[in-house]
Amino acid sequence: MVSRFTFVNYGSRALPNRAKLVSLGALFFALIFTATGCIREEDITLDQRAYQLASEIMCPVCDGQTIDQSNAQIATDMRLKVRELVDSGNTNAEVREYFVLRYGQEILAAPERTGFNLIAYIVPIFIVIISVGVALLAIRNMRRAARRNELETKLASGDLSVYLDKIDQDLGFTSDLTTEKKDQSSGQSDEAST
Amino acid sequence: MADLGAMALLLGMALSIYAAVGAIVGEKIGMAELAVSARRALYMTALTVLAASGALVNAFVNNDFSIKYVADHSNTLMDRAFVWVAFYAGNEGSLLYILLVLSIISAISIRFAPRRLARSLPWTIAILSVIQLFYFGVLIFVASPFELLDIVPLDGRGINPLLTHPGMFSHPPLLMGGLIGITIPFAFVSGALIAGTYGDDWIDVARVSGIIAWGVLGAGLLLGAWWAYTILGWGGYWSWDPIENVALMPWLVMTAFIHSIMVQKRRGMFRMWNVALLNIAFVLAQLGMFINRGGPVVSVHSFAASTLGIIFLIFMLSSLVFAFALFLWRMPKLKSDRAMDSFMSREASCLINNFLFLAVMAVTLWGVLFPVFSDMARDISVSVSAPYFNRVNGPVLLIIVILMGVGPLLPWRKASARSLKQWFVWPTVVGVVTIVALVAIGVQRPVAIFSFGVIAFVASAIGEEWWRGTAARHRSGDNWFTAWWRLVNGNRPRHGGYIVHISILILGLGIIGTNFYQQRMDEALYVGESLVLDNYRIEYIDRGSSERPDRIAQWAEMSVYRIDPADYAQEFETARARGSSGFKLEDSSARPNDELIDQIEPWHGFYVDFNMASVRSGIRSTIVEDLYVIPRDFLTDGRVSIAVSINPLAWWLWTSGPFFLIGTMIALWPQASVERRPVRKKVPDESEGDG
Repeated sequence: MVSRFTFVNYGSRALPNRAKLVSLGALFFALIFTATGCIREEDITLDQRAYQLASEIMCPVCDGQTIDQSNAQIATDMRLKVRELVDSGNTNAEVREYFVLRYGQEILAAPERTGFNLIAYIVPIFIVIISVGVALLAIRNMRRAARRNELETKLASGDLSVYLDKIDQDLGFTSDLTTEKKDQSSGQSDEAST
Repeated sequence: MADLGAMALLLGMALSIYAAVGAIVGEKIGMAELAVSARRALYMTALTVLAASGALVNAFVNNDFSIKYVADHSNTLMDRAFVWVAFYAGNEGSLLYILLVLSIISAISIRFAPRRLARSLPWTIAILSVIQLFYFGVLIFVASPFELLDIVPLDGRGINPLLTHPGMFSHPPLLMGGLIGITIPFAFVSGALIAGTYGDDWIDVARVSGIIAWGVLGAGLLLGAWWAYTILGWGGYWSWDPIENVALMPWLVMTAFIHSIMVQKRRGMFRMWNVALLNIAFVLAQLGMFINRGGPVVSVHSFAASTLGIIFLIFMLSSLVFAFALFLWRMPKLKSDRAMDSFMSREASCLINNFLFLAVMAVTLWGVLFPVFSDMARDISVSVSAPYFNRVNGPVLLIIVILMGVGPLLPWRKASARSLKQWFVWPTVVGVVTIVALVAIGVQRPVAIFSFGVIAFVASAIGEEWWRGTAARHRSGDNWFTAWWRLVNGNRPRHGGYIVHISILILGLGIIGTNFYQQRMDEALYVGESLVLDNYRIEYIDRGSSERPDRIAQWAEMSVYRIDPADYAQEFETARARGSSGFKLEDSSARPNDELIDQIEPWHGFYVDFNMASVRSGIRSTIVEDLYVIPRDFLTDGRVSIAVSINPLAWWLWTSGPFFLIGTMIALWPQASVERRPVRKKVPDESEGDG
């Protein structure tokens, strides 16, 4: 049974658990990111750069293949050109630019992140954020519905605690009626092992 | 034969009209006989399509070149094994194949549909028949595989050489079958919506047929990747090509569906959501058909390209409108029985997983359509290919894998802090230890290391659950294996799912290894020369060639040696100064520690009639890494131009397949006990069990 003075219950049990959980999770990710972040990648060789670039440039005569994948003669020539440009000290951006000037933007396997093409990269970020946001909102709404149902059942079954809580709220003892149920479950055993 | 096939199709079309109309009218006027005969008409449709397909295969086997389609896709020279499957090598035949699969699985699913679906079954029959009718219409009026030629050629044109690979027997039929298979759960659920039977009667049918379609599609995708890896000489297995993407998208949505259908089954929630997922998957499958048959995008899979694009576009849009109009009409009736109790519950994590799958799908769709969009908006063509998709989809897929470890460990309804601690300490420790260990031994690439850590986390989460369950049963007297097997059998959907999860982790190993640690080297070698890369030396021994009427084949015999880099210290140093990770050796005499480990034969065929080259890479595969040699070209001066790569962990890509299939099968195996056990356990302190 929930205490009439819900804040007593609320303050002492549920919040610290959740806070602990959140901070543990944050610590976990922080650890992982520092652990992975502090490794310095060895400088990659010119070869590796050339192959990397070759996988970012489309073959102009083959459908949907990069010059890296294609066995066409022109792809071979273009691979050699990439290597040559890399050898003579061009940056990756300059190499890409070289081919864009000659073949148009279509030659890049991924659009460059500038101007209009930025849309190609921004939209996915929005898609992901909106998806997760909608999921979280949906869960929240469903939880609210759950509480409303519970409330109605309780009122219908003549359980006065809800009513009394409401009075508490009206009198200003507690500000939010809906927070009361948050801490009801700490002792629940799980059934994941079945 | 052509007449027989064409007649069979006409008959089939008439039958499906009858089945569609009969089922609805029979239901509306309450005439049971008509409804029964409509159902039987649906069965008969399958027979007519079978007859038409048989006629076409027969024409192929007997080299009946009076049929245009046969003449276009086979000849007398091709390997005889392939004439049996050449009928789905082109546009018209593959449509016939799709209709064949659809009509057979429709008949089977209707025949074995549970009795309690009786009210909605007429509608399901009508929907299936209408979809079949569409294919009949296309096959009869627009793309007939039985079109005759006025002048019968002496020989056919032959099959597309890229298709003559063992993969031809499995990848296209499974992929097309999986895509069209989504129709079945869609038809059952839509039927139930129209009939107004809102209960959960359709859950089992939708779940089983959905998992089958999903599993078949998944297997088809994986086999396609394997095919690309072994033959096509693309040097890769997944290139985020538009056609690959449109097959992946419905698979992603179906993956979401087979997870959330379990929530509906156990908790009576997400009903609306599951219907929506099926609708999306079905429409995406139609989108795949549209893009495959002459859509507006460029692809390496131009085998089935045709001018049917507009027809499939119209069909796709109609199914979109139908599915969602129906959905909106019945939405108010699809309410959940129960509501969500907590963010920390399996249902909540399942919903988040669902939305992430949808996000990956939407992002992929966006990438497929962006070139079209760019073209229209500003008249500039762009390409959107692997580098883009890896960048945008990679992180989301990684989050999904993390959730794969978290979700199943959360209990239904609500997790307590104690149970969280109890379950997550060990997986987290294992994951972190893996990361630290990899860093300690000097492995590079932070993103890859983090991903390995995630895989270790998820694997140990599954391992932990299996360990606890097995150990408990072991203590009560079973031996370890029996104990584990009983555990798995106790809840097959769950543990079958775990095995599929393991297959995804295994696949993940391969993807990370090949994407982050691949080493590459291109070189042209004379006979007797060698190429050294990492600790391999590849010596070009000899070349061979053969001329057949349809192709000129050339291959290189190569010996693979494992070397001790110390023997080549000087050369490695020069190479590094040049910026290369490997080098060419003119003198191939073996150094002291060279050890012959394999012979490979990269093969290159040129098909004159098609003006097309086909390549078979030389692959030496081990559990650690693949040595992969693509013969790019056999030069006239006697050199062979090769692209060598070392693909770490590539073996694991293909190892995931069996696990995927076994897991899917275990999850599908009928089990009565889970069905009768919806989760209605109380959340403590709650006075009523279910509202």
